[in-house]
Amino acid sequence: MPYLMKSQALRILIGRLGRALSVSFWVMVISFAIMRIIPGDPASARLGAGAEMEAIEELRKTLNLNGSIFSQFTNYVMGLLQGDLGTSLQTGRTVIDIVSSTLPLTLYLIIFSTFFALLLSIPISTSIAWYAKAPIVYVFRSVTAVILATPNFFIAMIGILIFTVRVNWAPVFGYDPQFPQNLKYLWLPILVNTLIMTSVISRVLFSSVTETKEEEFVETGIIRGVGRRRFFWFYILKPSMAPTVVLLSYMMGTMLGATVILETIFSLPGIGRELVNAVLTSDYPMVQGILLIFGVITVFLSFTGDVIAYLLDRRVKI
Amino acid sequence: MKLKTRWANFKDWIALPGGFGIFSGLTMLVIIIILGIIIPNFGPYNSDDFVGEPFAGPSLKHPFGLDQLGRDLMTRTFSSVGVDLGVAFLGVSLPLVIGTVIGIVLGLAKNKYVLSLVGSLIDGINAFPLLIIAVAMLTFLGSGLKSIVIILAITNWARYARISRTRAVIVSKQNYIEAAKTLGYSKKRIILKHMTPNVSSETVAYALSDFILVIIIISGLSFLGLGAQPPTAEWGSMIADGRAFLTESAGLILFPGLALCWSAVALSFIVEGISRRDRGI
Repeated sequence: MPYLMKSQALRILIGRLGRALSVSFWVMVISFAIMRIIPGDPASARLGAGAEMEAIEELRKTLNLNGSIFSQFTNYVMGLLQGDLGTSLQTGRTVIDIVSSTLPLTLYLIIFSTFFALLLSIPISTSIAWYAKAPIVYVFRSVTAVILATPNFFIAMIGILIFTVRVNWAPVFGYDPQFPQNLKYLWLPILVNTLIMTSVISRVLFSSVTETKEEEFVETGIIRGVGRRRFFWFYILKPSMAPTVVLLSYMMGTMLGATVILETIFSLPGIGRELVNAVLTSDYPMVQGILLIFGVITVFLSFTGDVIAYLLDRRVKI
Repeated sequence: MKLKTRWANFKDWIALPGGFGIFSGLTMLVIIIILGIIIPNFGPYNSDDFVGEPFAGPSLKHPFGLDQLGRDLMTRTFSSVGVDLGVAFLGVSLPLVIGTVIGIVLGLAKNKYVLSLVGSLIDGINAFPLLIIAVAMLTFLGSGLKSIVIILAITNWARYARISRTRAVIVSKQNYIEAAKTLGYSKKRIILKHMTPNVSSETVAYALSDFILVIIIISGLSFLGLGAQPPTAEWGSMIADGRAFLTESAGLILFPGLALCWSAVALSFIVEGISRRDRGI
């Protein structure tokens, strides 16, 4: 019987991996198609009305816009397999080079805020859900609802208003990549992100702990007199974590989108600001490449989230 | 006598789960919509007129003060209501209709190839964070509120289609659909009269919460300079403009930001109230 269980789990996980790969393929198709489905020729649009035919032809060649759509796609995929995402029209650097120099900062931003958010929301939501006093629950729900309905750029602006304009604790412009110095620039964006993440995570954790509380095994645990610590981690938290992990993986994807705005506000040299610059300068290969990277990261995150959730709680359907 | 009964009914309705949330959310929404109609149209100033010294503080004539060009901030803040909520309404209702229809068609479709093709297209589109794909498409469509509506229509439908498809598959197996078939109703009548209302109740519920997300995305894109173009008064772009003048006047970002929060919070109270009423807690 245990053997059977194991092989079934393996089959489910492999099936989920297959889905992740097929969605990745479609992510690739979409980032290929995005330049081509819009009416009009992107090459002449970028060069403007007075451009010469040769220049347009040259750009079309660089952008891989010549030949049939099928051969364009083959070229694109072959390029991707060799790690070639194209070359930035603005700076002449390869897209992969720019991505690998800007992506780490963005990932740090997201990982640190997720970590702090988990650290805060686990005690907050479990204690509120466990003791469930009506007025506190009400305040908790309203406060998190208000934070969630507030756009991150407004929260960031209020942060700047308090910490930069009133007291000069956080510089808004410039960035220093050296380790201890960069914290001076990073703490405020991380704080803003953490605040938002904490309200999302604690809401979901709150409702799943409330549900877990009603389960029979929790009652059994109380009756059997399981130790406090063990009771908290294995009877309450572990079964409640599955929905939270799924949400977390989804939220980290959304956070990637949100960092586009945060990095622009705090002028941090991350991939999000790079995307906005590319959009403002019509740097098509950059936009296409960053879009692909974002899509693949999101697919990978949601795959990981589903797998962890399944390992935590086998009842989860993935 | 009658009035009292109505009042009692109302009190009972509020006492039901989520009633207070729905009521306060609706009230907040109605207040800002009314202000958004009255102040720009019947107020003393025009949102684009220069009426005084830049950065003038709040006064009796200009309760919110003046902005960096000397325009009345209150008029500008409230004339954004129509822009933001209007664009968001379009940006929600177009995908809602498109997605629901596609979802129902998919739920009924038998052709395996079409199903898996459109199904994976939906998964592929949903894989991207909405803000990212919107920013990327703006490169090719050009900035502006019109582009944002088009982009929301061609990308956001996929989220509705996923919900509507799942729902359509469930609904099509219900007994009342079988009954309608047995009664010999036409396919058109079954789809329009029996399937669509039951499927769309789910997608409309999602649309309400999506409304908040879409408002945030519209103002966020405008904040990045990719949405509303000057001199259009729009909350996101007003906050972006106010960024450079934080030391002169904090009101430039606070008033538009608070109006934006007010609308989003109103909607989220309504959404939460409705979902609590559905769950009955």
